[in-house]
Amino acid sequence: MKKELVCVICPNGCFLEADVVQGESGTEVRQVEGALCKKGVKWASQELVEPLRTIASSVLVEGGEIPLASVRTDQAIPLEAIGRVMEEIKKITVRAPVRIGDVILVRPSGAACNIIATRNVSPKGGQ
Amino acid sequence: MGNSGAKETTSGSSTPQYDVVIIGAGVVGNAIARELSRYALRIAVVEKELDVGMGTSARNSGVLHSGIHYKPGSLRAKLNVEGNSLMEGLCRELKVKIQYIGKLTVAAEDEEMPTLHALKEQGEANGVPGLEILDPEDMEKLQPGVRGLKALFSPTTGIICPYTFTIALAESALLNGVDYFLGEEVREVKRNGQKFTVRTRKGLGLVSKVLVNAAGVLSDKVCRMLGINDYTIYPCRGEYLVLDKRLGHHLSTLVYPAPHKGKAGLGIHLTKTVDGNILVGPSNEYVDGPEDWATTSYIMGKLREEGEKLLPSLTTSDIIRSFSGIRAKQAPPEEGGFRDFVIESRTDVPGFVNLVGIESPGLTSSPAIARMVRDMVSALVPLREKPEFKPELDRMTGYFHELSAEEQADLVAKDRDYGEIVCRCEQITRKEVLEAIENPLGVKSVTALKFRARVMMGRCQGGFCLPKIVRILQEDFGYRPEDFFLYREGSHLFTGRVRS
Amino acid sequence: MGPKELKKGVVVVGGGPAGLAAAVSAKASGCDDVVIIERGRMLGGILNQCIHDGFGLHRFKEALSGPEYAQRFIDQVQDLGIETLLNTMVLSINDSREILASSREGLFRIRAGAVVLAMGCRERTAGAIFLPGTRPAGVYTAGVAQNLINLQNIMVGEEAVIMGSGDIGLIMARRLALEGASVKGVYEILPYPSGLPRNIQQCLKDFGIPLHLSTTVVELHGRARLKGVTVARVDEARRVIQGTESFIPCDTLLLSVGLIPENELSREAGVAIEPLTGGALVDDTLMTSVEGVFSCGNVLHVHDLVDHVSEEADMAGHFAARFAVGEMKPRDSYIPIAPGRGVRYVLPQKISGEMDVVISLRVAEPMEQKAIVGRDQNGRGIFRKKQVKLHPAVMMRIKVKKEKLQGVSSMEVGVEG
Repeated sequence: MKKELVCVICPNGCFLEADVVQGESGTEVRQVEGALCKKGVKWASQELVEPLRTIASSVLVEGGEIPLASVRTDQAIPLEAIGRVMEEIKKITVRAPVRIGDVILVRPSGAACNIIATRNVSPKGGQ
Repeated sequence: MGNSGAKETTSGSSTPQYDVVIIGAGVVGNAIARELSRYALRIAVVEKELDVGMGTSARNSGVLHSGIHYKPGSLRAKLNVEGNSLMEGLCRELKVKIQYIGKLTVAAEDEEMPTLHALKEQGEANGVPGLEILDPEDMEKLQPGVRGLKALFSPTTGIICPYTFTIALAESALLNGVDYFLGEEVREVKRNGQKFTVRTRKGLGLVSKVLVNAAGVLSDKVCRMLGINDYTIYPCRGEYLVLDKRLGHHLSTLVYPAPHKGKAGLGIHLTKTVDGNILVGPSNEYVDGPEDWATTSYIMGKLREEGEKLLPSLTTSDIIRSFSGIRAKQAPPEEGGFRDFVIESRTDVPGFVNLVGIESPGLTSSPAIARMVRDMVSALVPLREKPEFKPELDRMTGYFHELSAEEQADLVAKDRDYGEIVCRCEQITRKEVLEAIENPLGVKSVTALKFRARVMMGRCQGGFCLPKIVRILQEDFGYRPEDFFLYREGSHLFTGRVRS
Repeated sequence: MGPKELKKGVVVVGGGPAGLAAAVSAKASGCDDVVIIERGRMLGGILNQCIHDGFGLHRFKEALSGPEYAQRFIDQVQDLGIETLLNTMVLSINDSREILASSREGLFRIRAGAVVLAMGCRERTAGAIFLPGTRPAGVYTAGVAQNLINLQNIMVGEEAVIMGSGDIGLIMARRLALEGASVKGVYEILPYPSGLPRNIQQCLKDFGIPLHLSTTVVELHGRARLKGVTVARVDEARRVIQGTESFIPCDTLLLSVGLIPENELSREAGVAIEPLTGGALVDDTLMTSVEGVFSCGNVLHVHDLVDHVSEEADMAGHFAARFAVGEMKPRDSYIPIAPGRGVRYVLPQKISGEMDVVISLRVAEPMEQKAIVGRDQNGRGIFRKKQVKLHPAVMMRIKVKKEKLQGVSSMEVGVEG
C-alpha cells in the first residue's frame, strides 16, 4: 500500500511516498521515495510505525525577570504521549535563575525524554 | 481595568443630590459640563461606556466646519459659526491641537457653479468670514493637484482630534468639580416633585434639579423615559478608512465635492487629521442599531475605489484601519438630508434640557451649544461664577514626537520616561503612556489609553506596543489578565494565565 | 542642550537574528567599532517568543528553539565585546548616515561609518485586510498572541479560529491546542497553504485541526468580546461564493495573513524600496540605494528560515564593515536582475558580476517538476536548478559563480518546464 507523508525534520518538508505492508510483526515500510536526504527515509519508516515529535512549551518561573521559561523535550517523543507530557509540564514551577539546557523534568510521565529549559531567565532586578 | 478617578457605583449610601445631571459624555455632554463647571453648581455626568467620547464623538472626521452648509437662521448655522469662533481659544486652554487648514468646495462642471455661489451667499448670511471663489490657479496654490472648474474657499474650516478634544473637556470639567459616573447606563428617569431621579442598570441613583439629555444617538430613548414621544433618531452610519501617515503630506487643505441634492452626507472625501493620517469617507447608510459600529466589505471596497481616485499613490498597505460612526439623524431615510438641532428647555417637563439630533456640525458647535444650554440652565437654577474655576489644563499640547530633537533631549534629561519609546509607529513615550494611565478620569480600557496617548493607532495597530502596554499595566499597576478590557464592559482582552 | 553626539563604525539597527548576525560578521570583518541598537529590553528580537523548535538545522545542525538560537549569537556578541544599546529606539536616519536615537539615558545622534538596517517586519492587521464587521476584543495577530502567551503568561482565549495559514498562525494553532484551547480550524483564502508543508503536518494534522483552503473569514461578530466569525468559500478570483457562508462560534481570531517589512526608517533615509519585496532595493553586497546603508533579514524581504536570515546578515555585516573601514571599491556598473515567468521576486536586484552571488527568490505559485533558470540579455542560460516541488512558502537561495557571469549585462530568472 502506498502512503504519502510530509517529512517534518527540516523546513524542506519533503513530500514522501512510502510503500507499506502489514507484515506479521506489524507495519513494515519497504521503500521511501521523494526524500532529499537519508534522514527522511529513516523518518518515514519511524513515522508510519510510531510518529515521534519534539514539543515546546513553557514553565512558570518564580522570581524571574520574565514570568515564564520556555522548555522543550530533548528527544522526540511519541505523538500519543504529548498530552500526558504537557500535563506534567503544566504542573512545574522553577526558580530563577534558569539557564539554557537546565533539566526541568526527567522522563515526564514515563516518556523517554527530559524537559530542558530553552532560555535563560535571570532573577528579577539582578543580572 | 482598575485605575479610576471617576466615581464608582456606591450602593446602600444615600442618593447623591445634584443641581445638574447630564446624561451622555460625548463631546456635547462634556462641553456642557465644562461650561457649567465655571459656576457654583453640583454637576454629574452619567455615561454608559467606560470612558468619555466613546460613541459618535470619537467616530467622525474631526472637521471644524465653517458653517456654509446650513440654512440661515437655523440653530445649526448659528451654533456652527459661533462654535467655530470659540474653538481656537478653547483649544488653547485645553492644550488641544487645532489647525485651520481651510476647505475647497470644488465645482467640477458648469452645472455646479450655481451651487457654489449659493453656498457662498448662504455662508455670508450665516456670518462665515473670508469666503472666496477661487480660480484653478489659486486652487492649485492651496492644494497641488486639485482638479475642478472653480472652488469656494472657506478659511475657517479646520481640523481637530475629536476624542482628544472630548477627553480634554471632560478632564477640565472633572478638575473643576464635576462628578463623572462612567460605565453607568441610565435605565430609568423619573420626575418626582421638583426633582429628577436617574437610575442606572447597576443601581446607581442620582437626584437632580436639572436634567440634561446629551445622549446623542440614544437621545430619543431618554426622551421616552420621561414620556416625551416627539422624537425618533434614525441611526445613519458613516464608514471610514484610515490611511498611513506616509501619505499625510499630500493634503494641505480639505477638498470636498460640491454637494448634490438629496444626499444626506457631504460625499466621500479625503480628510487630513491633526495627527497626519488621512481619512477616506464617510459613507452614508441608515442602519438599525444606534451602536452598529460595524464596517462592511461593500462600503470598504467603495471607499478604497474613491480613495484611489482621489489619491493615485494609494496602495493597499497604506490602509491601516477602518471604522464607522453613527449620525443621530432625525430625518427618516425617505426624507433624507438634515433636520435642525433640537435644543430646548421643556415646559411640559420643567427642568429638562433636551438635546436631540445633534449630528454634524455637532463637534464644531459644541462650545456654542454649551453656552446655549448654560443660558437655559440659568433660568432653572441660579448661576454664580466660581472664583476657583481654572480654564487651563496643565500639560503639553501634542506629542513628544512632534518636538524638535533639542526639545526632546531636554525633556528626556528632565524625565527619563520620555526617553523610552513604547509605541514605535507613532513614537509614543513611556511618559505619555503613564500620564494616560494616571489621567484624572481613570482608565478602564486599553482604548482609553489609545485615545489619550495615541498608542496602538499607528500602522501596526498595537502589534508592537500592546504587549509593552500590557507589561507596564501588569508590572507597574498590578493588573491581572482578567482586568484588561478593550473598550466596554464584557470586552475582556484575555482569559487568564497560561501557567499559575 | 540637544542630543549627545557620537561616532561609530558600523551601526546595526535591530538586535534580532539579522542584527545579531550582521554585528558579529561586521566585527569579524575588521570593524572594531560595531554597535547594535535594540528597541526591546533584550537581544534576540522575535526569536524570544518563538519557543518552538526547528531553528538552526542548517547553521548548527541542530533543531533549536528560537531563544536557544538567539543565545548562540548573543554569546558571540558578548564574546566579541560588541556594544549593545537596549531599550533604545532609533527615531530617524538620514541619507548621511546620521542616526537619532532615544533611550532613558537621553537622546543621541550617531554618525555612522556604515548602517545595517535589521528592523524586521510587522504583521498585517485586521484593518489592513479590510476585515468587515464589529470590533470586539479577541482579535489578535498571531505574533501578538505568541508574545502574550510565551513571554507574558497571558492566555488570549479558549475557542480560536485562525485566519490565514502563514507559519506563525500554524505554530500558534498548535500552541493553543497544547494549552487546551479548542482550535476550530485554519481558514486560508488561497487554494494552497502559505506556511511550510512540515508545519501543516506537525501543527495541524497532528492535532486534528482542519485546514480549509479557498475559504476565508468574511465577518466578525460580537459587540464586546468576539462571539464568532462568518467564513465562506471563495472562487479563483478570491470573490466570496454566495451561499457558502457559515457561522463558526469562537472567542478568539488569530490573524496570520502576511508580514510587511518595516521600512519606515529606511524610507526616511531615502532608501529606494522595491514594491515586489516591500524591502530595499539592494546590490550583491546588500547595499541599498543610499551609500553605506545595508539591509538584511525580514526588513529586506520576508524569510521563512532564520538560517537564511543569518546567512544574509553575515553578508550585510561583512560589507558594511568593509565600507566603514574604507575598503569597499565603488562600482560604476551593475547587472540588473529581474524576475521572469513564474517568479514573484528576485534579490539582489542588481549585481556587480565581479563576485559569486546568492540569488534569493520566491515562485509565484505552487508547481512541480520545473527548473529555475537564469538567462542573460541574449537568452543564454546562466544557471539552471531543477526542483521536484516549488512553493511560494519556500524561499529559494541559488548560488551563482562569478565565472558564469562573464559577458552578462542583464539577467532574468524564471521558471521553465
